[in-house]
Amino acid sequence: MRPAGRAETDSLYFDYPHFPFVRPAELDGRAVRHRVAIVGAGPVGVTAALELARHGIESVVLDDKATVNDGSRAICISRHSLEILQQLGVDTPFVAKGLGWTRGRTYFRDREIFRFEMPHSEQERFLPMINLQQQYIEQFLIDKAGESELVELRWQSAVTDVSQDESGVTLEVSTPEGDYRLECDYLLAADGARSVVRKAFGLALHGEAYEGRYVIADIHLRSGFPTERRAFFHSPALPDTTILVHKQPDDIWRIDYQLGPDEDPDQAVAEASIRERVGLIVREVLGEGDDWELEWWSLYKAYTLALDDYRHGRVLFIGDSAHLVPIFGVRGLNNGLADAANAGWKLAWVLKGLAPDRLLDSYSPERRGATLDVFTNAGKSTRFMTPPSRGYRLMRDAALTLALTNDYASGFANPRQVTPYTYAGSPLTMPDDAGFIAGPIPGAPLCNHRLGEGDYLLDHLGSGFTLLYFSRDGQVDAALAERLAVLQAQDKRIDLLAIAREAPAESALKDVDGSLFAAYGAETGSAYLVRPDRHVAARWKRLDPADFEPAIMTALGGK
Amino acid sequence: MTDTTLPFADLERAYECLAETLDSLPEHQERLFLAQLALALAHRVGDVERVMAAVEEARWGVAEVSDG
Repeated sequence: MRPAGRAETDSLYFDYPHFPFVRPAELDGRAVRHRVAIVGAGPVGVTAALELARHGIESVVLDDKATVNDGSRAICISRHSLEILQQLGVDTPFVAKGLGWTRGRTYFRDREIFRFEMPHSEQERFLPMINLQQQYIEQFLIDKAGESELVELRWQSAVTDVSQDESGVTLEVSTPEGDYRLECDYLLAADGARSVVRKAFGLALHGEAYEGRYVIADIHLRSGFPTERRAFFHSPALPDTTILVHKQPDDIWRIDYQLGPDEDPDQAVAEASIRERVGLIVREVLGEGDDWELEWWSLYKAYTLALDDYRHGRVLFIGDSAHLVPIFGVRGLNNGLADAANAGWKLAWVLKGLAPDRLLDSYSPERRGATLDVFTNAGKSTRFMTPPSRGYRLMRDAALTLALTNDYASGFANPRQVTPYTYAGSPLTMPDDAGFIAGPIPGAPLCNHRLGEGDYLLDHLGSGFTLLYFSRDGQVDAALAERLAVLQAQDKRIDLLAIAREAPAESALKDVDGSLFAAYGAETGSAYLVRPDRHVAARWKRLDPADFEPAIMTALGGK
Repeated sequence: MTDTTLPFADLERAYECLAETLDSLPEHQERLFLAQLALALAHRVGDVERVMAAVEEARWGVAEVSDG
């Protein structure tokens, strides 16, 4: 919502683009068979299109809107998401425009009781989190998609119904110039919380809705306060309200506050109420002046809801169409991007005939597993931020009171920010090699490592699988080289990335001080098999070339 | 005096269990329940000085928040 007199796209800082309708071939009666259709050109849908394009697969993306999202909404992008964006070649504008941060503070009554630092080190290319309004996130992704000949964006195209049979999926599309039918081999449903695709198949989300209601409001305010996450409990000005504050680019601040149990939500989102409450928070809680402007606001409820299965035949649900999570911990968008990466590479491999269709069966256990993990953490965060009952409120206040002077209790105030999920139990993941005492376990994403000035390990991954091979001088065992050559000849898309301790061969990365070997618990002959989405499929303390191919087959869905 | 403490994950379990138990009781029995719990825990600590320190910690917290 925006202040009276301003349209939904009338922003203080962002110029909304207008995406024209382009008449598709189908409207002129020409039959087109698409390999992949994606419903929803939000951040998750366009990321999926870019991931498919990275693997050479064309897609058509449909969206009923003619511009990007109307408000800032999801604003926190995690390091893991930035690493996804790097693989899509679109990280630069995000880093340039976004505000990076590592720190958060928790206040109880009038005192700061806890500071948290998110894990960060010089080994990382990206900060643990950047703040960026969703309009920019969408704009940067759409700009990138516009550069690709493999992505076709169809704006002002509303999907009204969907059906499927054994050979494909059919969409009914409604446009300003008439309705048409779109045929595709596979469908990615990225059409959000109110997914039309989900409804068309009669699929329901299951889980819980939390009691509390929250307002998120963006204001324009010039303030020198650094980019940190601030949480206020029991502030003197608003003792019954939990308040969260984030800084965004363009001097925009996100203020997030909880409504009381007796407050009427309709009344609370009236402009006058928003101005009064936000003014009080800015003045009394943040200690800033009255010189601010109201930009945009929205009301939401916390949910932990998910589909029972994220795959429905030839349809994969990605992002909010598959799961709704509370905002605390910034997992909505970040998990959606991981869904898109996961579904994208698998679908590409299946469509290229490099993996059986059942590779797609692994999408749901991996990504739904991540959702259930989010529920556990986000549920705890939500119960802490906005206690649902008398017992939880008393315990929350007790923990915060103890935390005033006791470190042991301050952990309760930790916001449990999103961390990448480990696909340890996935059918694609091999059991760990017991010889390792360090490094990412099978199922976990690779950890980055600084190799030199502006040069990091993850920069060197290709678009396919990567065999990270730890060697003395970059030379690979002859038997292994032969097996790799055979797989590459079958177009299996496996790149060798050799790490060398000394005098490396031309293509090897040099581990100058041995720190990469140490971080990966590696010795000469150790190897990690890495999937296109950077998750480890298998690792060997000492790779026997005969063990390599079975691991690849498992990572592609099994024989 | 030993310094054994609970790992944070277990402290969280205790937190959740206490919240649920409190919710299952009528509100007027909250105080009696918490006082009983304090005694039952004190009995298990096995070191009266640690119990006294915990009492002081909690009392201090109450004093800190009741001034405003």
